Amino acid sequence: MENKIEISDLRVHYGDTPALNGISFDVHPNEILSIIGPAQSGKTTFLKVINRTLEFTPEATVEGSVKLDGVDIRTIGDVYGLRRRIGMVLPLPVGLPLSIYDNVAFAPRAAGLRTKSELDEIVERCLQQAALWDEVKDRLDTLGTKLSGGQQQRLTIARALSHQPEVLCLDEFSIAIDPVTTMRIEEVLKTLQKEMTILLVTNLVQQAKRLANRTAFFLNGDLIEIDTTDVIFSDNPANQATYDYVNGTFG
Amino acid sequence: MNLYKNFYVMNAMSTRAERKQKIVLPSTPFFTLGIAAGIAVIPISNALKKTDATNIQVVSPNALSMLLNDLYIVLSVSLLAILLGIVCAFYLEEWLPKTNWVRRFIESHVAVLTGIPSVLYGILAISIFLSYAGTLKVINGAPAAQDTGARPFQRHTTLFLGEGLIFILMVMPVTIKTTQEALRSVATPVREAAYALGASQWQVLTRHVVPIAFTRMLAAGCRAMARAFATAALLIGTYIWHYTAETDGMSSRFLLFLGAALFLSVCSSTLVEIHASIYNSDSA
Ligand SMILES: Nc1ncnc2c1ncn2[C@@H]1O[C@H](COP(=O)(O)OP(=O)(O)OP(=O)(O)O)[C@@H](O)[C@H]1O
Ligand SMILES: [Mg+2]
Repeated sequence: MENKIEISDLRVHYGDTPALNGISFDVHPNEILSIIGPAQSGKTTFLKVINRTLEFTPEATVEGSVKLDGVDIRTIGDVYGLRRRIGMVLPLPVGLPLSIYDNVAFAPRAAGLRTKSELDEIVERCLQQAALWDEVKDRLDTLGTKLSGGQQQRLTIARALSHQPEVLCLDEFSIAIDPVTTMRIEEVLKTLQKEMTILLVTNLVQQAKRLANRTAFFLNGDLIEIDTTDVIFSDNPANQATYDYVNGTFG
Repeated sequence: MNLYKNFYVMNAMSTRAERKQKIVLPSTPFFTLGIAAGIAVIPISNALKKTDATNIQVVSPNALSMLLNDLYIVLSVSLLAILLGIVCAFYLEEWLPKTNWVRRFIESHVAVLTGIPSVLYGILAISIFLSYAGTLKVINGAPAAQDTGARPFQRHTTLFLGEGLIFILMVMPVTIKTTQEALRSVATPVREAAYALGASQWQVLTRHVVPIAFTRMLAAGCRAMARAFATAALLIGTYIWHYTAETDGMSSRFLLFLGAALFLSVCSSTLVEIHASIYNSDSA
């Protein structure tokens, strides 16, 4: 089986502060891989490496390689195209100064799509998938920032799906969402898995347990362990720290 | 105690190159502006000495025309300077990295120029005006009644350039600084979110950054204009004083002077007020 993403000896420094100390692992196609770990362990940094938004942090340096479908992402000339192949949902919703419709249609338009009917279709499908369509279908023209926090977060999920990414990265997406909606979105993620690979960074270990095929445990910039979720959540994962973290006895 | 310790440690740790960055570039304005001022003194003092009789122009001693004339210069030059300043701010803030020496060079000059109170620019403009005024003065004793009417745009070219330059120097740095602040107020997450959607730099700027920063940029323009008007008030007062004949009577000259200066000051403070209200409504 071909790997979707291959990470080898990835090191990231912010100035002199190390954030990732040489991690290596593979991401399989169409899996849900969850990444868990305490604060400051480098999870967000890892996602930023993948879609190359870490490049906006001038003091950050990246060594090692990340390959997407066998191609080193740093050799990809069309960085905008690369970013469209990767969907990114950030922990807190970021309001773009656009209407709900334009928020979702932004990425397809940036990619050059102009046909109204196709855009309509994408907007509807993505908002449905993000469990937001029923709440906003009558006011697609209102500003996205006028929605509630939870609705805005679902809008960012719809936005991330709008360019039909191959890899969907979610960084603690459920911080601002109520449990019922979180469950609905988790169901959506399970169905989306058929079409794309999902990287799920989460602070809720139970969420990882519910959703993930495999789970990686990060700690202070090191990859402590990566295995199937069953093993990680069993009574005997390879590393004691993993067991402690998963069972809440860490620290 | 600890604070001092850190202070010394940090100093010891900054390399020669870092010290150079911290001290040398920010102090360049002293030298460049000093040299510029030195160069400017020569033509001004020359002009003060000689009055070239062949260069005498008849300028309408009509107060209204002078006011229009002045407004015209202030408005056109300031608008130009604001546009230039905005373009410049975009280039500095969005294209040049923070460490780029051109950016640091310009920013340090901008900081110094914005720190100069507009009254000083006004005095500079007046002194340039006075140094050329000899060639401009209405042929001695020509009473206002003989005048052919208002000719608002007829000016001495050198004077026009000198004044224009002063207004550009006064308005552009303020615009650059406030526009940069407006651009910086657009939070990094917004940019990153837009980039994460595959937008190009141009798309991020036009679709996200400018719409968010727009009200603040408008406010920036108002503030820069207010500065220009404040100086214009000083200038117009001087013109009126200079052109109205002594025979017009002390009190009417003084009234004209006050009226014009007051009018422009009101323009200026209104703009400041607009600036404040835009700014507050944006951050609310
Ligand atoms: N822009 C930055 N500049 C400097 N250091 C940074 C920056 N962003 C992150 N770091 C540092 O990198 C390390 C890893 O941070 P990162 O955000 O990747 O952790 P995380 O695992 O996502 O944590 P959390 O669970 O709190 O989101 C931390 O030590 C953090 O202080
Ligand atoms: Mg994080």
